[in-house]
Amino acid sequence: MIAEALTGLVFIPLGVTLVVLLLPDRARGPLCLAAVLALPLCLLPLTEAVWTNGDITLVLAEFAPPLGIVWRLDGLALIMLWLTAIVAVPVSIHALTSFPPGQASGREFWPLWMMLLAGINALFLSADLFNLYVTLEMITLAGVAMIGIGGKALALKAAMRYLLLGLLASLLYLLAVGLIYGQTGALDIDLVGERLQPGRMAATALVLMTTGLLVKSAIFPMHVWLPAAHGNAPGPVSAILSGLVVKVSLYMLIRIWLWMAGDWELPAAATALGLLGAGAILYGSIAALIQPRLKMVIAYSTVAQLGYVMLLFPLASIEAYRAASYQLLAHGLAKAAMFLAAANILKSLGTDRLIALTDLDRKLPVDLFAFTLAAVSIMGLPPSGGFLAKWMLLEAAWRQEAWGWLVLVSVGSLLSAAYLFRVIALTCFHPGRRHASTRWQTPPRSATNAALILALLAIAAGFTSAPLLSLIDGSLPPGGIWP
Amino acid sequence: MVISVLIDFLLAAGMVVLALQVVSDKAVLRSIILFVVFGLVMALAWTRLHAPDLALAEAAIGAGVTGALMMMAWRRLLIINPERPADTPLGRSRLAVPVALLSAVLVATIGLTALDVESPTHTAGQVAAEEMTATGLGNPVTGVLLLFRNLDTLLEMAVLLIALLGARAISPPASPEEAAVVETGTPLVGALLAILVPLSILIATHLLLAGTHEPGGAFQAGAVLAAGGVALILSARLKPGERPGIVMQLGVTVGLIAFVAIGVGIMALGETLLVLPGTWAVYLIETAMMVSIGLTLALLFAGAPALVGRRG
Repeated sequence: MIAEALTGLVFIPLGVTLVVLLLPDRARGPLCLAAVLALPLCLLPLTEAVWTNGDITLVLAEFAPPLGIVWRLDGLALIMLWLTAIVAVPVSIHALTSFPPGQASGREFWPLWMMLLAGINALFLSADLFNLYVTLEMITLAGVAMIGIGGKALALKAAMRYLLLGLLASLLYLLAVGLIYGQTGALDIDLVGERLQPGRMAATALVLMTTGLLVKSAIFPMHVWLPAAHGNAPGPVSAILSGLVVKVSLYMLIRIWLWMAGDWELPAAATALGLLGAGAILYGSIAALIQPRLKMVIAYSTVAQLGYVMLLFPLASIEAYRAASYQLLAHGLAKAAMFLAAANILKSLGTDRLIALTDLDRKLPVDLFAFTLAAVSIMGLPPSGGFLAKWMLLEAAWRQEAWGWLVLVSVGSLLSAAYLFRVIALTCFHPGRRHASTRWQTPPRSATNAALILALLAIAAGFTSAPLLSLIDGSLPPGGIWP
Repeated sequence: MVISVLIDFLLAAGMVVLALQVVSDKAVLRSIILFVVFGLVMALAWTRLHAPDLALAEAAIGAGVTGALMMMAWRRLLIINPERPADTPLGRSRLAVPVALLSAVLVATIGLTALDVESPTHTAGQVAAEEMTATGLGNPVTGVLLLFRNLDTLLEMAVLLIALLGARAISPPASPEEAAVVETGTPLVGALLAILVPLSILIATHLLLAGTHEPGGAFQAGAVLAAGGVALILSARLKPGERPGIVMQLGVTVGLIAFVAIGVGIMALGETLLVLPGTWAVYLIETAMMVSIGLTLALLFAGAPALVGRRG
């Protein structure tokens, strides 16, 4: 049962891709939605097993490391898999309206989305450095192609830039994998963690890997590709990219630092990573404050919010580990909700320029409500998932008397409140003038509900902390987290 | 001894000079040609490093297919923008010097650190060599790709399919005139094709079958098969089609279908995921993969969702 469930997570989306390619366009959307709905069913028995017996390991093809590849499922991986499955369902429902069956754009969207999903699930399960590279390639290539669906010039340009930087990042990561194999003769993360000795070679590999993954996660100052890519992609694709795809490489970064170099003392490197996070929070928030378009505000907000995860490294402690994991989850839910709501607004008004968004509380009340709920979580207001993540970060900083980081988290939250209230205030503004735009279409109800459900889940993540935190605590790295 | 050191030195120096020329040449077409030459020298370097499988892959995919794809992209750029003469000098990027310096520092660091690293005593490679006798396969590379680490290979096939789907999603279909570059009326073309195409199939089959015991395998075989397809496309025997039919879709997915059907289907017999039931399964999956790889690469070259035969 466990092996079948693990297999299903990767091979249901992958198998469905192979099937829908042979079917007429009309059948693609509904069949892929059915496949997405099967993912939570696969996760249920796995959750029970991890809850009662701890980590699950599956040796693929019966060749154990160092020769073969294993899938390893612990609490952190499980939470990320749940995030993926939970975001995938509303996004797919939304995509049924944005890429309606029978249209050319939908023909290409569904197989790519299923392949992306297979890649994400395979990445969270994999415990092998080279296998992680292959899954990362699947995710990047599918992401690039999905940005370009529809063929808008701006989107194509952004996709090209993402492709080039993404490939460069992959090469850096691959080079590091080669160096690590040369020194340890193994690719399994646990084995490498045992065998890798601190030294110049290990440091070179760690720097290369980190650089590659920071580019893929768009951490300041390697974020240059993200705003244009996420801001110009089709609606559901933006939600997928900001909600899931950037989390994937951050998750790998956490795995590599804490599982491979967990017991090395690297205070300077940890501070450097934290400073990048600080740069991301400040730069992303200020840039979001001056954007003229709604989707660009949300995209820059992603740059800022990812910075909080980086504070795990300087604040290394169990609270910071909890906070970073929770931030990945809460931001994934809230940002996907926000991008879906923005997609509805954009489609309904034909533009997402902020000055045109007046009167939204009358025109699109439910979409605006979903956006605002998601904003509550992003700002870190209680009760929401985002609040818990930031609260735990503050707690970690407080305990270590790291006042600089404490101030940073507080300032970051204030800035996010500023750029989001700016949007909300504009949307509730009622110009008295007669020539204010009055034309809008009501978006399909399922599209509105998809955004609303995700936003409600982002808030609900603030109430379900007990089981989630015990899963996270159960997945602490073997070497511990450096003080 | 001295001769082999000299050869190695010439290869290394040649690659550096070629790489410099590829990035610094002002004419795009010449850069592409130099890149193909670079790939061939690289293939020689792999043989010197006792990696014949990599050498074959580098020659067939790195130099051959990649070169052909870049030439096609260059031609389409010319068709899209005929105003711009082919040899307009490219402006040098502001980033060129910093990137070059960073790369040099990186290479120097890796070279220096590699000097004082001892080879590990227990490597996956050694275990693979020990396990080979039990598999019935003679080529350890095939053992790693199809048995020991076959999830990597399966997902690589998925990457290839994603690349094709992505190209379909983004690029507008090529018009038939764009793809054909050879005068189709010339009698010599037919004679040439009559030799080239059967030869590509023959070499591909040899590489595939040899792959279980000698260097070779589905990726190299697929690339050679694609070369035959490219010849047919260039001579307008195969034309870009608008919509992929069921045969075309089956062709590009058959490698993955065979892999998934056997690797996952085996679980119904109570085996672990991705255990292959015997050498026949390796042959079957490799053959299916060869077809998918060849067809995918030919489709990427044609820049079209489908290929149709010329009627009449």
